[in-house]
Amino acid sequence: MEDPGVGASDAHPHAGDSASSVAPGASAPAFALRVAHVSKNFPGTRALDDVSVEVIGGTIHCLLGANGSGKSSLIKILAGVYQADPGGTVTVGSHTLDADRTSPAWARSVGLHFVHQDLAIFTSLSVAENLAIGRGFPTNPLTKAVRWRALGRHARTVLERFHVDVDPKRLVGDLRPAGRTMVAIARALQDQSDASEGVLILDEPTVALPAVEVDVLFDALKRYAKAGQTIVYVTHRLEEVTRIADRVTVLRDGQVAATLESVEATKERLVELIVGRALDHEAATSSTLGGEDLVLEVSELSGGPLRGVSFGLRRGEVLGIAGLVGSGRTSILTTLFGLQPPAFGTVKLNGEIVSFSSIDAAMDAGFGFVPEDRSESAFVTMSLKENLSAAEVSKYWRGMRMRERAEATDARQSIVDFSIKAVSERQPFATLSGGNQQKAIVARWLRRQPKILLLDEPTQGVDVEARAEIYRLVREAVASGTSVLVVTADLEELARVSDRVVVLTQGRISGEVRGPEIDPSRLTELVLSAAPDSRGPQLEASRP
Amino acid sequence: MTVEETIGTGQPAGTTAPAGTGANRTDARAGGQSTLLYNAERFALPAILILVLIFFSLWGKTGNLFATSINFQEVGSDYVYIGMLALASLLPLVCGEFDFSVGSNAGFTQIVVATAMARFHVPLPFAIMLAIAFGAAIGLGNGNTVARVGVNSLIVTLGTSGVLLGVVEWYTGAQSINNGISSKLLSFGSENTLGIPDMVFLLLGVALIVYYVIQHTPYGRYLTSVGSNARAARLVGLRVDRLKLSAFVLAGALAGLAGVLLVAKNGSATPEAGNVTDTLQALAACYLGATSIRPGRFNVLGAMLAVYFIGFSVSGLAIAGVQSWISQVFSGAALFIAVVLSTVIGRRRAGIG
Repeated sequence: MEDPGVGASDAHPHAGDSASSVAPGASAPAFALRVAHVSKNFPGTRALDDVSVEVIGGTIHCLLGANGSGKSSLIKILAGVYQADPGGTVTVGSHTLDADRTSPAWARSVGLHFVHQDLAIFTSLSVAENLAIGRGFPTNPLTKAVRWRALGRHARTVLERFHVDVDPKRLVGDLRPAGRTMVAIARALQDQSDASEGVLILDEPTVALPAVEVDVLFDALKRYAKAGQTIVYVTHRLEEVTRIADRVTVLRDGQVAATLESVEATKERLVELIVGRALDHEAATSSTLGGEDLVLEVSELSGGPLRGVSFGLRRGEVLGIAGLVGSGRTSILTTLFGLQPPAFGTVKLNGEIVSFSSIDAAMDAGFGFVPEDRSESAFVTMSLKENLSAAEVSKYWRGMRMRERAEATDARQSIVDFSIKAVSERQPFATLSGGNQQKAIVARWLRRQPKILLLDEPTQGVDVEARAEIYRLVREAVASGTSVLVVTADLEELARVSDRVVVLTQGRISGEVRGPEIDPSRLTELVLSAAPDSRGPQLEASRP
Repeated sequence: MTVEETIGTGQPAGTTAPAGTGANRTDARAGGQSTLLYNAERFALPAILILVLIFFSLWGKTGNLFATSINFQEVGSDYVYIGMLALASLLPLVCGEFDFSVGSNAGFTQIVVATAMARFHVPLPFAIMLAIAFGAAIGLGNGNTVARVGVNSLIVTLGTSGVLLGVVEWYTGAQSINNGISSKLLSFGSENTLGIPDMVFLLLGVALIVYYVIQHTPYGRYLTSVGSNARAARLVGLRVDRLKLSAFVLAGALAGLAGVLLVAKNGSATPEAGNVTDTLQALAACYLGATSIRPGRFNVLGAMLAVYFIGFSVSGLAIAGVQSWISQVFSGAALFIAVVLSTVIGRRRAGIG
């Protein structure tokens, strides 16, 4: 008991030392999971290219890579969501299968257990109920009523086994974030009779967790591994790899860049592998901007995930904001747009301090905002015309009525100006393609000739052609004096469209790149390698 | 039978939609949808109303009594009250909320206006204003709870409705107020000008104003935007909670006016008048109206046509000898069919169906 372990109760009376067959570093390592020569082609892209990964039983094996490196494709093939191209194989324990024949049922039968980012737990149900869902409730054979006491007993046994210290009767919604993740893990593993049997695959479980909670989760994972549990841990956070991995495989552009033992996996080495070239050790340059063409000056902006963000924006400049999920990149935009008041810090517009109590105040001051999710900007039940004019309806209110004809004329003009493919301005918005909807939403703001346009993932879910057109429209607006702040996870896109990029790490600006220095791999490097908890010198430099 | 006709014209439009979506130009799907079909959809309800009128006028069993000016005047003035409730329901519906309390609100405010005149001898204009003010105050309560606290509007207004019905019964002791009601109000409820009931003119006037507000003012566009996507409305600078609140206040005020009409029509204030059944009829009319004129959107003309479609159908059936329960069954069935139709139309408009 004092040597906690998964499933330690029956098979391994002394879990710690009995797991000789799975001990890392043993002379002939037993592979719990082997992926051999797996490739996957999607129309137009090669997601995986002859990938081979070997996971030693009883170890924590990290799978690391930037966006689009192929991590999720690999996991989805293992889960049976996709099938690989013919040729490769997947081996779990003693079961080998062609990689083009994986299925969810197969994954379950060989003991691959997945816990995804969103956990798929039911916050309004109790812990015990969550454990039973998907597995089945114990019921009275006659009345089919749930046997609550048996359910509670089962839950307590499972929770004890996984050292989750919560009352099975508590609602999962009342648990701490790490507790929820651990309930999800316990649910995935509860039917394993032996810890060394299956493989637990965790897909970026810490994205939504605060630092303290991450510690709790990592302690638990280390304990499980010690008891013989094999864990594959997918992440893009370097510091997590150095903290918990026994081994790490780095993917780059669909290929295995390298598999390292944890002792070799220094941060610098990992970044080099992810980016694909040697690091240049120059710190990211940064300096305070000066000059009269400064439109926006943000200093020490704090609140929510933001912890003192300072930057400037010039007239006619496109400033990109790069950062991981949770870095606060969206919060910068929403705070500037008046969606939530900053806890601290000042915003100067053309040299004057402004603070917006409402969105229309921000709009009057010349801000425009295209949110990340189109469901927050599209009026699908209304017409294209009404969507285009949504941010300036009052303009058409003259002489006690709506000048619908003027509105229609303007809409037709916008359809031409912004190359929106539509039959007429009266067309229901829902019937436009995603790309054309997005163009119309960008057009909605550009028609107002904003001083500052805030774009959050402006090309998400948009085809290549529309993507290029959206940025062409933004460029045209920039040429006529609009300044743009753009946030996107697609660093290649960010590099292409930005005049300057600031890197945001955990609510602080940790670096800045400008002009010719901007390239995707440099940005990836900065986003991934920025020290999370130390205040970078760059930040100090950019303070007034 | 007329109900079946409604389905008959509604369904082909719904079922042919997928064929239209098979067109090559994906962007042009609904825009390129045949205008013939669209117009058939738009004018189905008025066409059915006319068919109902013709049918009951020609049918031997009903013709003699149905096709008379007296019957038309009676149906006309009888349904002014429901029409007013439909106008009241329309504003919250446009911004995506339900007001289930409009009928009970009218039931309450009829007591207010009658009591003001009978017990406190308040002059008619002030009594009317008092009723409207009380109605608006009820709307303010609803709107505050919905917009600021964020409770589901159906639940809030159902609660309000129950409370109002109870208060009316308590205050009146289940007794009608028959005496002391202004004779001017009573004659307004019964007299005709140019052969048309005076009350119909009032309904027409208010309907025009509501139409203007919804269709031709930025405020109406804002309400529609909130109804379409409240989060997006917020992000284009609209004060979503204020807009919702205002819609409930206006709905309450119109329900207050409907309460006055109830007294004018009945000549008294009776505790049984003004209840949830009336609300259902008004909602049925709004939903039925949303299938025509501007399909997929709640609109004033459609709602008014639907009110009288229900009115004349019920009247014709009553003359034909069907028992009085037909009124409830008919408006219930109309609500059901209307909601199904508008869902089908709405889904098609959203490109899903």
